[in-house]
Amino acid sequence: MSEEIKPTKIIDARGSYCPGPLMELIKAYKQAKIGDIISVYSGDSGTKIDAPAWVKKSGNELLGVFDRDGYFEIVVKKTR
Amino acid sequence: MSNIKRALILGDGAAGTIISNKLRLLTDKKDLEIVVIGNSPSHYFKPDGVQIPFGLKQYRKSVKPTEFLFNSGVNYVRDEATGIDVQKRVVTLKSGKSYNYDYLIIATGDRFTPEDVPGYEGEAKHFYSLKNALELKTELEHFNGGDIVVGQASIPIQCPPAPYEFTFLLDQYLKNRGIRQKTNIHYIYPLNRVFTIQNVSTYIEKLFEERDIIVHTMFNVDSIDNKSKKVQSLEGESVNYDLLVLVPPHRGQKFITNSGLANESGYVDIDKHHLNYGTYDDVFVIGDATNLPISKAGATAHFQSEYLSHSIAHDVGGSVYENEYKGDVACTTITGGEKAITLYFNYEKPPRTSFQSKTDFLLKWTSSDTYFSGMLRGIM
Repeated sequence: MSEEIKPTKIIDARGSYCPGPLMELIKAYKQAKIGDIISVYSGDSGTKIDAPAWVKKSGNELLGVFDRDGYFEIVVKKTR
Repeated sequence: MSNIKRALILGDGAAGTIISNKLRLLTDKKDLEIVVIGNSPSHYFKPDGVQIPFGLKQYRKSVKPTEFLFNSGVNYVRDEATGIDVQKRVVTLKSGKSYNYDYLIIATGDRFTPEDVPGYEGEAKHFYSLKNALELKTELEHFNGGDIVVGQASIPIQCPPAPYEFTFLLDQYLKNRGIRQKTNIHYIYPLNRVFTIQNVSTYIEKLFEERDIIVHTMFNVDSIDNKSKKVQSLEGESVNYDLLVLVPPHRGQKFITNSGLANESGYVDIDKHHLNYGTYDDVFVIGDATNLPISKAGATAHFQSEYLSHSIAHDVGGSVYENEYKGDVACTTITGGEKAITLYFNYEKPPRTSFQSKTDFLLKWTSSDTYFSGMLRGIM
Protein backbone atom coordinates (compact mmCIF):
# COMPACT_ATOMS: atom_id res chain seq x y z
CA MET A 1 0.00 0.00 0.00
CA SER A 2 1.48 3.31 -0.99
CA GLU A 3 1.92 5.88 1.79
CA GLU A 4 -0.62 8.41 0.55
CA ILE A 5 -3.60 6.01 0.32
CA LYS A 6 -5.24 5.36 3.66
CA PRO A 7 -7.83 2.59 3.45
CA THR A 8 -11.02 2.91 5.45
CA LYS A 9 -11.19 -0.85 5.74
CA ILE A 10 -8.62 -3.61 5.23
CA ILE A 11 -9.79 -7.14 4.46
CA ASP A 12 -7.23 -9.87 4.94
CA ALA A 13 -8.51 -12.65 2.70
CA ARG A 14 -5.19 -14.48 2.48
CA GLY A 15 -5.86 -18.20 2.91
CA SER A 16 -9.21 -17.82 1.16
CA TYR A 17 -9.49 -18.99 -2.42
CA CYS A 18 -11.31 -17.66 -5.47
CA PRO A 19 -14.01 -16.40 -5.33
CA GLY A 20 -13.65 -15.89 -1.56
CA PRO A 21 -11.60 -12.64 -1.67
CA LEU A 22 -13.94 -11.07 -4.24
CA MET A 23 -16.99 -11.99 -2.19
CA GLU A 24 -15.33 -10.44 0.87
CA LEU A 25 -14.74 -7.26 -1.14
CA ILE A 26 -18.39 -7.20 -2.23
CA LYS A 27 -19.55 -7.73 1.34
CA ALA A 28 -17.39 -4.83 2.54
CA TYR A 29 -18.60 -2.68 -0.35
CA LYS A 30 -22.22 -3.19 0.72
CA GLN A 31 -21.41 -1.91 4.20
CA ALA A 32 -19.16 0.97 3.09
CA LYS A 33 -20.06 4.63 2.51
CA ILE A 34 -19.42 6.61 -0.69
CA GLY A 35 -15.77 7.71 -0.65
CA ASP A 36 -14.57 4.83 1.55
CA ILE A 37 -11.42 3.04 0.45
CA ILE A 38 -11.35 -0.74 0.76
CA SER A 39 -8.13 -2.73 0.62
CA VAL A 40 -8.18 -6.50 0.05
CA TYR A 41 -5.24 -8.83 0.66
CA SER A 42 -5.40 -12.03 -1.37
CA GLY A 43 -3.03 -14.91 -2.02
CA ASP A 44 -5.11 -16.19 -4.93
CA SER A 45 -3.97 -14.92 -8.33
CA GLY A 46 -7.54 -15.22 -9.67
CA THR A 47 -8.45 -12.21 -7.54
CA LYS A 48 -6.15 -10.05 -9.69
CA ILE A 49 -8.53 -10.67 -12.60
CA ASP A 50 -11.89 -10.98 -10.85
CA ALA A 51 -11.68 -8.00 -8.52
CA PRO A 52 -10.69 -5.33 -11.12
CA ALA A 53 -13.38 -6.72 -13.47
CA TRP A 54 -15.97 -6.38 -10.74
CA VAL A 55 -14.83 -2.85 -9.85
CA LYS A 56 -15.16 -1.81 -13.50
CA LYS A 57 -18.59 -3.41 -13.92
CA SER A 58 -19.90 -1.90 -10.70
CA GLY A 59 -18.72 1.60 -11.68
CA ASN A 60 -16.34 2.08 -8.76
CA GLU A 61 -12.72 3.19 -8.86
CA LEU A 62 -9.73 0.87 -8.82
CA LEU A 63 -6.90 2.68 -7.03
CA GLY A 64 -4.38 -0.07 -7.64
CA VAL A 65 -3.31 -3.71 -7.68
CA PHE A 66 -0.04 -4.19 -5.85
CA ASP A 67 2.26 -7.20 -5.65
CA ARG A 68 3.26 -7.74 -2.03
CA ASP A 69 5.43 -10.30 -0.32
CA GLY A 70 3.55 -13.52 -1.18
CA TYR A 71 0.19 -11.89 -1.76
CA PHE A 72 -1.62 -9.15 -3.70
CA GLU A 73 -3.29 -6.00 -2.49
CA ILE A 74 -6.27 -4.61 -4.36
CA VAL A 75 -7.41 -1.12 -3.42
CA VAL A 76 -10.87 0.11 -4.33
CA LYS A 77 -12.70 3.39 -3.77
CA LYS A 78 -16.48 3.27 -3.43
CA THR A 79 -17.85 5.91 -5.77
CA ARG A 80 -21.47 4.77 -6.13
CA MET B 1 -12.59 -46.57 35.40
CA SER B 2 -13.80 -47.03 31.86
CA ASN B 3 -11.44 -46.33 28.97
CA ILE B 4 -14.28 -45.90 26.52
CA LYS B 5 -14.01 -42.69 24.51
CA ARG B 6 -16.85 -40.62 23.14
CA ALA B 7 -17.27 -39.20 19.64
CA LEU B 8 -19.89 -36.47 19.77
CA ILE B 9 -21.34 -35.61 16.38
CA LEU B 10 -23.43 -32.48 15.95
CA GLY B 11 -25.87 -32.68 13.07
CA ASP B 12 -28.05 -35.41 11.54
CA GLY B 13 -27.78 -34.44 7.86
CA ALA B 14 -25.61 -36.14 5.27
CA ALA B 15 -22.28 -35.37 6.95
CA GLY B 16 -23.35 -36.32 10.49
CA THR B 17 -25.10 -39.51 9.41
CA ILE B 18 -22.33 -40.76 7.12
CA ILE B 19 -19.52 -40.22 9.58
CA SER B 20 -21.39 -41.74 12.53
CA ASN B 21 -22.22 -44.88 10.54
CA LYS B 22 -18.69 -45.15 9.14
CA LEU B 23 -17.18 -44.73 12.59
CA ARG B 24 -19.45 -47.46 13.97
CA LEU B 25 -18.33 -49.89 11.28
CA LEU B 26 -14.66 -49.14 11.98
CA THR B 27 -14.64 -49.19 15.79
CA ASP B 28 -15.68 -51.46 18.64
CA LYS B 29 -18.44 -50.37 21.02
CA LYS B 30 -16.09 -51.16 23.91
CA ASP B 31 -13.66 -48.54 22.63
CA LEU B 32 -15.87 -45.77 21.30
CA GLU B 33 -19.31 -44.46 22.15
CA ILE B 34 -20.89 -42.59 19.24
CA VAL B 35 -23.50 -39.93 20.05
CA VAL B 36 -25.28 -37.92 17.36
CA ILE B 37 -27.20 -34.77 18.27
CA GLY B 38 -29.90 -33.68 15.81
CA ASN B 39 -33.56 -32.80 15.56
CA SER B 40 -34.51 -33.32 11.91
CA PRO B 41 -37.69 -35.42 11.66
CA SER B 42 -36.80 -36.46 8.13
CA HIS B 43 -33.73 -36.76 5.93
CA TYR B 44 -34.17 -35.26 2.47
CA PHE B 45 -31.92 -36.20 -0.44
CA LYS B 46 -31.28 -32.65 -1.64
CA PRO B 47 -29.90 -33.41 -5.13
CA ASP B 48 -33.41 -34.55 -6.16
CA GLY B 49 -34.63 -31.00 -5.56
CA VAL B 50 -33.55 -29.94 -9.01
CA GLN B 51 -35.76 -32.58 -10.65
CA ILE B 52 -38.85 -32.41 -8.40
CA PRO B 53 -40.14 -29.08 -9.81
CA PHE B 54 -40.32 -30.65 -13.27
CA GLY B 55 -42.08 -33.82 -12.12
CA LEU B 56 -39.01 -35.89 -13.00
CA LYS B 57 -38.75 -37.39 -9.49
CA GLN B 58 -41.41 -38.44 -7.04
CA TYR B 59 -40.50 -36.79 -3.78
CA ARG B 60 -41.53 -39.75 -1.62
CA LYS B 61 -38.40 -41.59 -2.77
CA SER B 62 -36.28 -38.63 -1.69
CA VAL B 63 -37.23 -38.61 2.00
CA LYS B 64 -36.70 -41.10 4.86
CA PRO B 65 -37.31 -40.82 8.61
CA THR B 66 -34.03 -39.68 10.17
CA GLU B 67 -34.01 -42.03 13.15
CA PHE B 68 -33.98 -45.16 10.95
CA LEU B 69 -30.83 -44.15 9.10
CA PHE B 70 -28.32 -44.83 11.86
CA ASN B 71 -26.50 -48.13 12.18
CA SER B 72 -26.94 -50.22 15.31
CA GLY B 73 -24.66 -48.90 18.03
CA VAL B 74 -25.03 -45.22 17.13
CA ASN B 75 -26.80 -43.32 19.91
CA TYR B 76 -29.08 -40.76 18.23
CA VAL B 77 -30.26 -38.03 20.60
CA ARG B 78 -33.10 -35.78 19.47
CA ASP B 79 -31.90 -32.39 20.60
CA GLU B 80 -30.12 -29.31 19.30
CA ALA B 81 -26.67 -27.97 20.12
CA THR B 82 -26.71 -24.40 21.41
CA GLY B 83 -23.14 -23.87 22.55
CA ILE B 84 -19.64 -25.30 22.28
CA ASP B 85 -16.78 -24.76 24.73
CA VAL B 86 -13.74 -26.22 23.02
CA GLN B 87 -11.49 -25.54 26.00
CA LYS B 88 -13.68 -27.38 28.49
CA ARG B 89 -14.64 -29.98 25.86
CA VAL B 90 -18.35 -29.59 26.46
CA VAL B 91 -21.40 -29.03 24.27
CA THR B 92 -24.63 -27.62 25.69
CA LEU B 93 -28.02 -28.51 24.25
CA LYS B 94 -31.38 -26.80 23.90
CA SER B 95 -32.89 -29.19 26.47
CA GLY B 96 -30.41 -27.95 29.06
CA LYS B 97 -28.35 -31.15 28.98
CA SER B 98 -24.66 -31.11 28.17
CA TYR B 99 -22.20 -33.62 26.74
CA ASN B 100 -18.46 -33.98 27.15
CA TYR B 101 -16.44 -35.46 24.34
CA ASP B 102 -13.11 -36.93 23.36
CA TYR B 103 -13.75 -36.15 19.70
CA LEU B 104 -16.15 -33.45 18.56
CA ILE B 105 -17.35 -33.51 14.97
CA ILE B 106 -19.33 -30.47 13.89
CA ALA B 107 -21.59 -31.38 10.97
CA THR B 108 -24.34 -28.83 11.43
CA GLY B 109 -24.48 -27.69 7.80
CA ASP B 110 -25.69 -24.22 6.93
CA ARG B 111 -28.99 -22.36 6.71
CA PHE B 112 -30.84 -20.16 4.25
CA THR B 113 -30.97 -16.43 4.99
CA PRO B 114 -33.47 -14.93 2.51
CA GLU B 115 -33.77 -11.95 4.86
CA ASP B 116 -30.33 -10.86 3.58
CA VAL B 117 -31.96 -9.79 0.28
CA PRO B 118 -34.64 -7.09 0.54
CA GLY B 119 -37.81 -8.20 -1.22
CA TYR B 120 -36.86 -11.89 -1.40
CA GLU B 121 -39.37 -13.33 1.03
CA GLY B 122 -42.75 -14.09 -0.48
CA GLU B 123 -41.53 -13.28 -4.00
CA ALA B 124 -38.58 -15.42 -5.12
CA LYS B 125 -38.89 -19.20 -5.54
CA HIS B 126 -36.25 -21.89 -5.17
CA PHE B 127 -35.80 -25.65 -5.05
CA TYR B 128 -33.36 -26.09 -2.16
CA SER B 129 -35.86 -27.62 0.26
CA LEU B 130 -38.60 -30.13 -0.42
CA LYS B 131 -41.33 -27.63 0.48
CA ASN B 132 -39.88 -25.00 -1.86
CA ALA B 133 -39.30 -27.51 -4.68
CA LEU B 134 -42.96 -28.55 -4.52
CA GLU B 135 -44.13 -24.92 -4.47
CA LEU B 136 -41.98 -24.22 -7.51
CA LYS B 137 -43.51 -27.24 -9.28
CA THR B 138 -46.95 -25.63 -8.90
CA GLU B 139 -45.62 -22.27 -10.12
CA LEU B 140 -44.15 -23.86 -13.23
CA GLU B 141 -47.37 -25.73 -13.97
CA HIS B 142 -49.19 -22.37 -14.10
CA PHE B 143 -46.48 -20.64 -16.14
CA ASN B 144 -47.45 -20.01 -19.76
CA GLY B 145 -44.63 -17.87 -21.13
CA GLY B 146 -42.67 -14.72 -20.32
CA ASP B 147 -39.35 -14.12 -18.58
CA ILE B 148 -37.85 -16.56 -16.09
CA VAL B 149 -34.76 -15.48 -14.18
CA VAL B 150 -32.63 -18.25 -12.63
CA GLY B 151 -29.64 -17.74 -10.38
CA GLN B 152 -28.21 -17.46 -6.92
CA ALA B 153 -28.22 -14.49 -4.61
CA SER B 154 -24.64 -14.96 -3.43
CA ILE B 155 -21.68 -17.32 -2.97
CA PRO B 156 -21.30 -19.81 -1.30
CA ILE B 157 -24.33 -22.04 -1.74
CA GLN B 158 -24.93 -25.75 -1.36
CA CYS B 159 -24.37 -27.77 -4.54
CA PRO B 160 -22.87 -24.97 -6.68
CA PRO B 161 -23.79 -26.55 -10.06
CA ALA B 162 -27.51 -26.78 -9.15
CA PRO B 163 -28.54 -23.40 -10.68
CA TYR B 164 -27.14 -24.27 -14.11
CA GLU B 165 -28.49 -27.82 -13.83
CA PHE B 166 -31.93 -26.36 -13.10
CA THR B 167 -31.56 -24.07 -16.13
CA PHE B 168 -30.90 -27.00 -18.48
CA LEU B 169 -33.91 -28.89 -17.12
CA LEU B 170 -36.06 -25.77 -17.37
CA ASP B 171 -35.17 -25.39 -21.05
CA GLN B 172 -36.12 -29.02 -21.65
CA TYR B 173 -39.36 -28.71 -19.65
CA LEU B 174 -40.50 -25.62 -21.55
CA LYS B 175 -39.74 -27.28 -24.89
CA ASN B 176 -41.76 -30.34 -23.86
CA ARG B 177 -44.68 -28.08 -22.97
CA GLY B 178 -44.36 -26.19 -26.26
CA ILE B 179 -43.81 -22.79 -24.62
CA ARG B 180 -40.04 -22.38 -24.97
CA GLN B 181 -40.48 -19.96 -27.89
CA LYS B 182 -42.68 -17.78 -25.69
CA THR B 183 -40.15 -17.76 -22.84
CA ASN B 184 -36.86 -15.97 -22.22
CA ILE B 185 -34.59 -17.78 -19.78
CA HIS B 186 -32.17 -15.43 -18.01
CA TYR B 187 -29.26 -16.82 -15.99
CA ILE B 188 -27.65 -14.47 -13.46
CA TYR B 189 -24.33 -15.19 -11.71
CA PRO B 190 -22.18 -13.21 -9.23
CA LEU B 191 -18.83 -13.66 -11.04
CA ASN B 192 -17.61 -12.68 -14.51
CA ARG B 193 -18.45 -16.20 -15.77
CA VAL B 194 -21.27 -18.72 -15.18
CA PHE B 195 -19.53 -20.97 -12.65
CA THR B 196 -16.70 -20.59 -10.14
CA ILE B 197 -14.27 -22.93 -11.91
CA GLN B 198 -13.16 -21.46 -15.24
CA ASN B 199 -12.97 -24.58 -17.42
CA VAL B 200 -16.37 -25.81 -16.23
CA SER B 201 -17.74 -22.34 -16.86
CA THR B 202 -16.44 -22.33 -20.45
CA TYR B 203 -18.14 -25.65 -21.09
CA ILE B 204 -21.46 -24.58 -19.56
CA GLU B 205 -21.42 -21.27 -21.43
CA LYS B 206 -21.21 -23.19 -24.70
CA LEU B 207 -24.24 -25.30 -23.74
CA PHE B 208 -26.13 -22.16 -22.69
CA GLU B 209 -25.42 -20.56 -26.05
CA GLU B 210 -26.76 -23.61 -27.89
CA ARG B 211 -29.99 -23.31 -25.89
CA ASP B 212 -30.47 -19.54 -26.14
CA ILE B 213 -30.02 -18.93 -22.44
CA ILE B 214 -29.49 -15.20 -21.80
CA VAL B 215 -26.53 -14.77 -19.46
CA HIS B 216 -25.97 -11.86 -17.03
CA THR B 217 -22.61 -12.17 -15.29
CA MET B 218 -21.22 -10.06 -12.43
CA PHE B 219 -24.75 -9.91 -11.13
CA ASN B 220 -24.74 -9.81 -7.33
CA VAL B 221 -28.34 -9.54 -6.22
CA ASP B 222 -28.97 -6.39 -4.24
CA SER B 223 -32.76 -6.34 -3.99
CA ILE B 224 -36.02 -7.53 -5.51
CA ASP B 225 -38.85 -5.20 -6.41
CA ASN B 226 -41.99 -7.31 -6.29
CA LYS B 227 -44.20 -4.50 -7.62
CA SER B 228 -42.31 -3.87 -10.85
CA LYS B 229 -41.13 -7.53 -10.95
CA LYS B 230 -37.50 -6.58 -11.23
CA VAL B 231 -34.34 -8.04 -9.69
CA GLN B 232 -31.65 -5.44 -9.13
CA SER B 233 -27.89 -6.08 -8.96
CA LEU B 234 -25.32 -4.36 -6.80
CA GLU B 235 -23.51 -3.51 -10.03
CA GLY B 236 -26.42 -1.40 -11.29
CA GLU B 237 -28.09 -3.84 -13.69
CA SER B 238 -31.71 -4.99 -13.44
CA VAL B 239 -33.67 -7.78 -15.09
CA ASN B 240 -37.45 -8.06 -15.33
CA TYR B 241 -39.09 -11.38 -14.56
CA ASP B 242 -42.43 -13.12 -14.51
CA LEU B 243 -40.95 -15.94 -12.45
CA LEU B 244 -37.83 -15.55 -10.32
CA VAL B 245 -35.99 -18.73 -9.27
CA LEU B 246 -33.26 -17.54 -6.94
CA VAL B 247 -31.22 -19.67 -4.54
CA PRO B 248 -31.27 -17.71 -1.28
CA PRO B 249 -28.10 -16.61 0.53
CA HIS B 250 -26.63 -19.13 2.97
CA ARG B 251 -24.86 -18.77 6.30
CA GLY B 252 -23.52 -21.22 8.85
CA GLN B 253 -25.39 -21.86 12.09
CA LYS B 254 -25.77 -19.00 14.57
CA PHE B 255 -24.62 -21.00 17.58
CA ILE B 256 -21.30 -21.65 15.84
CA THR B 257 -20.71 -17.90 15.57
CA ASN B 258 -21.96 -17.35 19.13
CA SER B 259 -19.54 -20.02 20.36
CA GLY B 260 -16.65 -18.04 18.86
CA LEU B 261 -15.76 -20.63 16.23
CA ALA B 262 -16.61 -18.49 13.21
CA ASN B 263 -17.25 -14.92 12.12
CA GLU B 264 -20.74 -13.70 11.19
CA SER B 265 -20.74 -15.93 8.10
CA GLY B 266 -21.01 -18.92 10.44
CA TYR B 267 -18.51 -21.01 8.43
CA VAL B 268 -15.59 -22.48 10.36
CA ASP B 269 -11.98 -22.13 9.19
CA ILE B 270 -10.25 -25.50 9.51
CA ASP B 271 -7.10 -27.29 8.40
CA LYS B 272 -7.90 -28.27 4.83
CA HIS B 273 -6.14 -31.63 5.01
CA HIS B 274 -6.93 -32.77 8.56
CA LEU B 275 -10.26 -30.97 9.06
CA ASN B 276 -9.47 -29.89 12.63
CA TYR B 277 -10.33 -26.51 14.06
CA GLY B 278 -7.44 -24.20 15.01
CA THR B 279 -4.88 -25.86 17.24
CA TYR B 280 -7.40 -28.36 18.58
CA ASP B 281 -6.78 -31.98 17.66
CA ASP B 282 -10.14 -33.11 19.07
CA VAL B 283 -12.49 -30.71 17.21
CA PHE B 284 -13.32 -31.37 13.57
CA VAL B 285 -15.70 -29.82 11.08
CA ILE B 286 -17.09 -31.55 7.97
CA GLY B 287 -19.74 -30.92 5.33
CA ASP B 288 -21.37 -27.58 4.61
CA ALA B 289 -20.32 -26.05 7.95
CA THR B 290 -16.70 -25.57 6.83
CA ASN B 291 -15.12 -22.59 5.14
CA LEU B 292 -13.07 -24.79 2.81
CA PRO B 293 -12.66 -23.57 -0.79
CA ILE B 294 -14.54 -26.54 -2.23
CA SER B 295 -18.12 -27.40 -3.11
CA LYS B 296 -20.68 -27.67 -0.35
CA ALA B 297 -22.11 -31.04 -1.38
CA GLY B 298 -23.04 -34.44 0.00
CA ALA B 299 -20.18 -36.00 -1.95
CA THR B 300 -17.74 -33.65 -0.20
CA ALA B 301 -19.10 -34.74 3.19
CA HIS B 302 -18.77 -38.36 2.05
CA PHE B 303 -15.09 -38.01 1.11
CA GLN B 304 -14.33 -36.06 4.28
CA SER B 305 -16.06 -38.73 6.36
CA GLU B 306 -13.96 -41.41 4.70
CA TYR B 307 -10.78 -39.69 5.83
CA LEU B 308 -11.91 -38.56 9.27
CA SER B 309 -13.59 -41.83 10.34
CA HIS B 310 -10.40 -43.75 9.51
CA SER B 311 -8.27 -41.19 11.30
CA ILE B 312 -10.36 -41.35 14.50
CA ALA B 313 -10.68 -45.15 14.29
CA HIS B 314 -6.91 -45.34 14.06
CA ASP B 315 -6.55 -43.14 17.12
CA VAL B 316 -9.08 -45.23 19.05
CA GLY B 317 -8.11 -48.75 18.11
CA GLY B 318 -5.35 -48.84 15.51
CA SER B 319 -7.56 -49.26 12.48
CA VAL B 320 -6.33 -48.46 8.95
CA TYR B 321 -5.07 -44.91 8.85
CA GLU B 322 -5.63 -42.37 6.11
CA ASN B 323 -3.01 -39.70 5.81
CA GLU B 324 -5.08 -36.70 4.83
CA TYR B 325 -8.16 -35.39 3.07
CA LYS B 326 -7.09 -34.23 -0.37
CA GLY B 327 -10.10 -32.05 -1.14
CA ASP B 328 -11.91 -34.70 -3.16
CA VAL B 329 -15.29 -33.68 -4.56
CA ALA B 330 -17.53 -35.37 -7.13
CA CYS B 331 -20.81 -34.21 -8.54
CA THR B 332 -23.02 -35.28 -11.40
CA THR B 333 -25.32 -32.74 -13.00
CA ILE B 334 -28.00 -33.30 -15.63
CA THR B 335 -27.58 -31.27 -18.80
CA GLY B 336 -30.93 -32.20 -20.40
CA GLY B 337 -31.95 -34.81 -22.97
CA GLU B 338 -31.22 -37.64 -20.49
CA LYS B 339 -27.55 -36.75 -20.41
CA ALA B 340 -25.33 -35.59 -17.57
CA ILE B 341 -21.74 -34.65 -16.77
CA THR B 342 -19.70 -35.74 -13.77
CA LEU B 343 -17.10 -33.44 -12.26
CA TYR B 344 -14.40 -35.04 -10.14
CA PHE B 345 -11.67 -32.91 -8.63
CA ASN B 346 -9.58 -32.14 -5.58
CA TYR B 347 -7.30 -29.40 -4.22
CA GLU B 348 -4.61 -30.18 -6.78
CA LYS B 349 -6.51 -31.36 -9.86
CA PRO B 350 -9.19 -29.20 -11.48
CA PRO B 351 -12.24 -30.94 -12.97
CA ARG B 352 -12.33 -32.05 -16.57
CA THR B 353 -15.52 -31.59 -18.53
CA SER B 354 -15.07 -33.39 -21.79
CA PHE B 355 -18.46 -34.94 -22.53
CA GLN B 356 -22.05 -35.52 -21.51
CA SER B 357 -23.26 -39.10 -21.29
CA LYS B 358 -26.31 -41.28 -20.70
CA THR B 359 -24.28 -43.30 -18.17
CA ASP B 360 -23.77 -40.21 -16.03
CA PHE B 361 -27.49 -39.49 -16.30
CA LEU B 362 -28.32 -42.98 -15.01
CA LEU B 363 -25.82 -42.45 -12.19
CA LYS B 364 -27.73 -39.33 -11.19
CA TRP B 365 -31.13 -40.92 -11.75
CA THR B 366 -30.39 -43.76 -9.32
CA SER B 367 -28.39 -41.68 -6.84
CA SER B 368 -31.09 -41.44 -4.16
CA ASP B 369 -31.22 -45.26 -3.91
CA THR B 370 -27.42 -45.46 -3.79
CA TYR B 371 -27.38 -42.70 -1.19
CA PHE B 372 -29.91 -44.16 1.24
CA SER B 373 -28.87 -47.80 0.91
CA GLY B 374 -25.10 -47.47 0.72
CA MET B 375 -23.46 -44.09 1.10
CA LEU B 376 -25.45 -42.93 4.13
CA ARG B 377 -24.98 -46.30 5.84
CA GLY B 378 -21.22 -45.92 5.66
CA ILE B 379 -20.60 -48.98 3.49
CA MET B 380 -19.48 -47.02 0.43
